Amino acid sequence: MSTLAVDIRSIVKRYEGHVAVKDLSLQVPKGAVYGLLGPNGAGKTTTIRMLLDIIAPDSGSIAIMGVSNTASGVLDRVGYLPEERGLYKRMQVRRLLHFLAELKGVSKRDASQRIDEWLERLDLKTAAKDWGNSKVDELSRGMQQKVQFIGTLLHDPDVVILDEPFSGLDPINAQALKDTVVDLRRRGKTVLFSTHLMDNAERMCDSVCILARGEKVLDGGVAEVKAAHGGSHIALGLTGASTPAVDAVLADRSLVGRLDDSSRFFEIELAPGADAQLLLRRLIDAGAGIERYERVQPSLHQIFLEKVGASGIETGMSGHG
Amino acid sequence: MGKMFAVIKREYLERVRSKWFVVATVFGPLMMAVLTILPAYMASKTTPSNEVANIVILDASGTGLGDRISQQLGALGRTPQVRAIAPAGIALAESTATREVIDKSFEGYLVVDALTQSGERARYAGRNASTIPDIERLQDATRGAVLAMRFEAAGLDAQKVQSLSSVKLRLETERLTEQGRGSSGRGNVVLAYVVALLLYMSIILYGQSILMGVIEEKTQRVAEVVVASIPSDKLLAGKVLGVGAVGLTQQVVWVTSGLLLLKFQQPIMKAMGLPAVGMQIPQVSIGTGLAFFAYFVLGFIFFTSLFAAAGSMVSSTQDAQQVSTPLTFLIVPSILLLTPVLLQPNGTLARVVTLIPFTSPILMPVRMSITSVPWWEVAASITILIATCLGAIWLAARIYRVGVLMYGKKPSVREVLRWVRLAR
Repeated sequence: MSTLAVDIRSIVKRYEGHVAVKDLSLQVPKGAVYGLLGPNGAGKTTTIRMLLDIIAPDSGSIAIMGVSNTASGVLDRVGYLPEERGLYKRMQVRRLLHFLAELKGVSKRDASQRIDEWLERLDLKTAAKDWGNSKVDELSRGMQQKVQFIGTLLHDPDVVILDEPFSGLDPINAQALKDTVVDLRRRGKTVLFSTHLMDNAERMCDSVCILARGEKVLDGGVAEVKAAHGGSHIALGLTGASTPAVDAVLADRSLVGRLDDSSRFFEIELAPGADAQLLLRRLIDAGAGIERYERVQPSLHQIFLEKVGASGIETGMSGHG
Repeated sequence: MGKMFAVIKREYLERVRSKWFVVATVFGPLMMAVLTILPAYMASKTTPSNEVANIVILDASGTGLGDRISQQLGALGRTPQVRAIAPAGIALAESTATREVIDKSFEGYLVVDALTQSGERARYAGRNASTIPDIERLQDATRGAVLAMRFEAAGLDAQKVQSLSSVKLRLETERLTEQGRGSSGRGNVVLAYVVALLLYMSIILYGQSILMGVIEEKTQRVAEVVVASIPSDKLLAGKVLGVGAVGLTQQVVWVTSGLLLLKFQQPIMKAMGLPAVGMQIPQVSIGTGLAFFAYFVLGFIFFTSLFAAAGSMVSSTQDAQQVSTPLTFLIVPSILLLTPVLLQPNGTLARVVTLIPFTSPILMPVRMSITSVPWWEVAASITILIATCLGAIWLAARIYRVGVLMYGKKPSVREVLRWVRLAR
């Protein structure tokens, strides 16, 4: 039995005029929370759609839980929340959930029981009101999002794939989703999600893969990725606003290789061979009021910018998925 | 298979539960009932009324013609008033009578004069001047009176004239075909029309229905969740079969209630105090019935799968019209060709169009209901239809597979062809 929940090998997907995914290989271990990061148009959704056999790769192979994803029944073990979300608006919630469960091969009796459990867990069924008997379009947007979660997880999948799960969620549902991911991981399920929100990825993921222009830029455990890029990063905090003299020091390319400027807080990547002590002295000479000056591991955000670069984001914007 | 059944079940139940379906299914037979009963009702309304005798006759003939007409009309139970006037007083008498008609003392007035006597013309003015049976009755009475007077002038006895000239004759019609005398030639033509219209309506209605369903899945963004769980060709097949089952359910209700209506038509009409319509349940053999069923199912699958594919090409209901119109053009010729096929059911045109898969689902049942079609022609037509059906499903599945996840502008024909080539 394979220890990989998802094993993607050298997949390629070409569309007329451009290559959406170039020779991508990914291994997601069982029980991991895995982040697929990248700007819009990096090929995340295309990859996920190929994973779910919605579209076929031009070449390469995909296995889920050790079995080819085209084998019958494999996808019944996968739960999928697409980026474009929606429900049959005129259907009754309970009937809709029954339909989604049936599409995943859940027996009718099991489905009834699980639907009630989920509706109660997410407060859609209370002593006062059972929303399960309402039509989808009678529900608020937040409630519809809950119904969508239930639809994704109703068949108790071993692998859960979430495409941009946080987009459009209100804070309460976003928290509920995070809790759910934690709960799934505790129960040994594998979660793969795509996002361009690095903060979420950094907090939730065990491993990540950064994609840009259809190619893998880097992948690995979050700690390893950060360690591999650490050492030359400095977090700088100022007491007040930056002055022209301070800006001049930070603009010195012989000291500062890359700068993420947040007005009073800076994440600095030292230029190759630059001395951190020298930079500190220059800043003090320039009259900077320093609150914090610390060698740090880079944030995923920083690594992402460094690896993908502004150009990657811009060219990516024009593509789809 | 279980998943496809889930799709069939959803499509079927969601549609059958809708108000629209219930209304249409109940309304159909109701319309049929109205269409059967209404003509009889109209016919009963259009027999000449008593009102025809409630007139005044202005007699300027000076020969007592007015009294004779009055007698003829008197058979209806009421004798019209006759006013003998001089030819010069016609204008004055007319204006008096006009006022009386407006006051509703009479229904109208009839003017007879020397011209009437000579058999040229009489004039009538009244509120019922546009009621054809009344006017016919009036004309018959006037003509009869003139005729009777002429016979008497020629020396015939008045009694004899009465008995000789009263001939009540009705022309009953019966249709002869190459197959000999059909018990109800008209019944089969009616059957042909009914079959054609039911098939046509079903295909158009449910074609649109499946088209809107597919677009709805796209606009409500449900499509991706569904295609992640079931291959799109199975999804398409499930939709077509589910919607087909809805159409079939409706047809069964309609046809059954139609047959019941025909069967119990006479007692129903009697209860309503109306004369029965001479229409019988058309004789249809089991083989023909099965062929009707096969054409319905195949025609339905053929067109609805094309409609589903068309729906997958667009992403808004506004664009739906643009893709459904070309498909409607494939169906409309069947209705345009209906009359030519009915007139010459064994002509070359009828033979050809019942082989062409776009027209055969509607026109072959039509042809079969008025004439006996050689079995090999039916077999050939069904074989061609099945082959085209498979082709249509294959094509539709490929378009659907790509189209259902495409958003944005409507694709060009070239793009759609590329989808067909590249899908899977």
